[in-house]
Amino acid sequence: MSPADARVRLAWPAGSTRPTGTFPDTDPDTGPGKAAALDVAVVVLVSEAPEPLAELYEEYAPPLRAFGRRFEFIFAVEPAHRLLIEPVLELARRGEPVRCIELAHTVNEAALLSAAAATTTAPIVVTLPAYRRVIAEALPSLIARVEEGADLVVARRWPRRDGWINRMQNRVLHVLVQRVAGGRLRDVACGVRAVRRDVLREVPLYGEFLRFFPILATRQGYRVEEVDAPQHPRDVRTRVYAPGVYVRRLLDVLALAFLVRFREAPLRFFGLIGAMFALAGTAVLGVMIVQRTGGRALADRPLFLGAALLIVLGLQAIALGLIGEIIVHLHASRQPRYRVKNPHE
Amino acid sequence: MSPAPSLSVVVPLHNEAENVAPLCVAVREALDGWSWELVLVDDGSGDATLAIATEIAEYDARVRVIPLARNYGQTTALQAGFDHAGGDVIVTMDGDLQNDPRDIPALVGKLADGYDMVAGYRVRRADRLLTRRLPSYVANRMIRRITGVPLRDLGCALKAFRRELLGRLHLYADMHRFLAVLATAQGARIAELPVRHHPRRAGQSKYDLRRTPRVMADLVTLKMIVSFRERPLALFGSGAVVATVLGSIAGVMALALRKHDVHLLVMPGVSLLCFGFACYLVMLGVIGEVVVRETYADDAYGPAGVARPLLPTIGAT
Repeated sequence: MSPADARVRLAWPAGSTRPTGTFPDTDPDTGPGKAAALDVAVVVLVSEAPEPLAELYEEYAPPLRAFGRRFEFIFAVEPAHRLLIEPVLELARRGEPVRCIELAHTVNEAALLSAAAATTTAPIVVTLPAYRRVIAEALPSLIARVEEGADLVVARRWPRRDGWINRMQNRVLHVLVQRVAGGRLRDVACGVRAVRRDVLREVPLYGEFLRFFPILATRQGYRVEEVDAPQHPRDVRTRVYAPGVYVRRLLDVLALAFLVRFREAPLRFFGLIGAMFALAGTAVLGVMIVQRTGGRALADRPLFLGAALLIVLGLQAIALGLIGEIIVHLHASRQPRYRVKNPHE
Repeated sequence: MSPAPSLSVVVPLHNEAENVAPLCVAVREALDGWSWELVLVDDGSGDATLAIATEIAEYDARVRVIPLARNYGQTTALQAGFDHAGGDVIVTMDGDLQNDPRDIPALVGKLADGYDMVAGYRVRRADRLLTRRLPSYVANRMIRRITGVPLRDLGCALKAFRRELLGRLHLYADMHRFLAVLATAQGARIAELPVRHHPRRAGQSKYDLRRTPRVMADLVTLKMIVSFRERPLALFGSGAVVATVLGSIAGVMALALRKHDVHLLVMPGVSLLCFGFACYLVMLGVIGEVVVRETYADDAYGPAGVARPLLPTIGAT
């Protein structure tokens, strides 16, 4: 690969979920002829708290080389970290199989990943965060499991080396996630994964949902497996975030729960909540009306206001659910809601 | 695959390993002399269903297997079958052999008389009275009342459709039960025919009485959507009118009670609450209108029901 190819800039046109740029599928120069030689593309998502990229490459590449697979590293870089690109280009000049995808403006990790995955023809994509989560020697076992037939393999940091605060946070997140979405994954937050490239194309990736990608893939009927990967000694820093981060995470889990259970029938969710409120309000109102016949004035009692409030709240929720149902109904024709097994499955 | 069969029989299968082979035999015998295909949709079965079906498909090119990646439920399985069926006429059937494929020719014949959909209704149902037939009877009565669709037996899986009708229906959630309601909303002409019904020979029934309330809720929802999906403001607007009337009554009462020595806040509060709710409903209705317009604006599929005439040619039947 010539150093000139090593840096690609991508812009996202308005209203598109895909970046513009030259993709292997469309461009014969970077197309199948040359890239078919690849087995694995390692996509490093450079968005939060990145470590020096060349060091990452030098640590993670040797085990892959020893594993005997032809690989390339793609660094998908947000504009904020543009300055980190130079050492990677230096590596490319020395002939190492590395490339940078530079996004024209700040996007989320899901967008980084789909942009990078769209530029490779390797059948297997390994995702890495731009900091060390697991030891480099764990990567080949992930890739091997995909080659054996799994669609997505998630690394679980185990044994862990970090403190109880990190572990407790992880545990709480997973109890919540397992509650709402089922499944038995124990480290969705790890971010080290190996996946067949077609899966990336077929499971819609967006927003902060890259974290829950394994759960969405399971819902699509893909074979998702978990592999123990020893935690990297550098991943031991105790992570305590601002309260806002926890609130956002909780909202993500709620959104996940809603999407997993009620995406096709929003009224079942809003209707249940609404019906509870409205029934409670109606019950209170009923009692008060009975008492009214016994001679107790209605307008004199603040509870009357409370009952009215409950009923209105309930009806509001139901009305919102109905709007949701109309939207779902209108969009029902857009995409198949099922996936047919591939011949190899 | 044989070139464009005129008749596709779509059967969703979930853990029906014992029934697959007899089903294929029965269909083959019943449709002898027809141009048909059998679309078996394996809905993520955990048993040998898929293996057996695949094996049958290997020596009979008229049998096709659509293996779904996981258990999606009957509605989605049916939709998958519809998407993959190639016939001009599509017949659906349960995979448990309680329906009899020998009824298919009669259904298709009725279709040719000028109907878009022909539903079977089970005479002499071979099910338990108390847990199956009675609830079904009550449910059918209610559904007839609510939807105005005059069908005796919505639960019967044996139905025949023209492909043009199915092209307009998109099933999701648990809508397979209400295919007839959706079809009516599309302006379809529906007929009914008595069909045979056999007791279950093998496998487990998936019917569950506890589902009844949810089915009822779904039905009301469906009715609302079908009536108002093209003019949500009409639905929400009428709600707003009711809320405004209630708010006005409360307001008048508040004024009337002003002179008396009563709690000052209650009636004005209720009145304001009702007005607020009315505003909320109007806004929601406007959002709904926007969504509807946007959807139709960028979509080839225009408002449903506008182009009523379905009924094109029925191939070689």
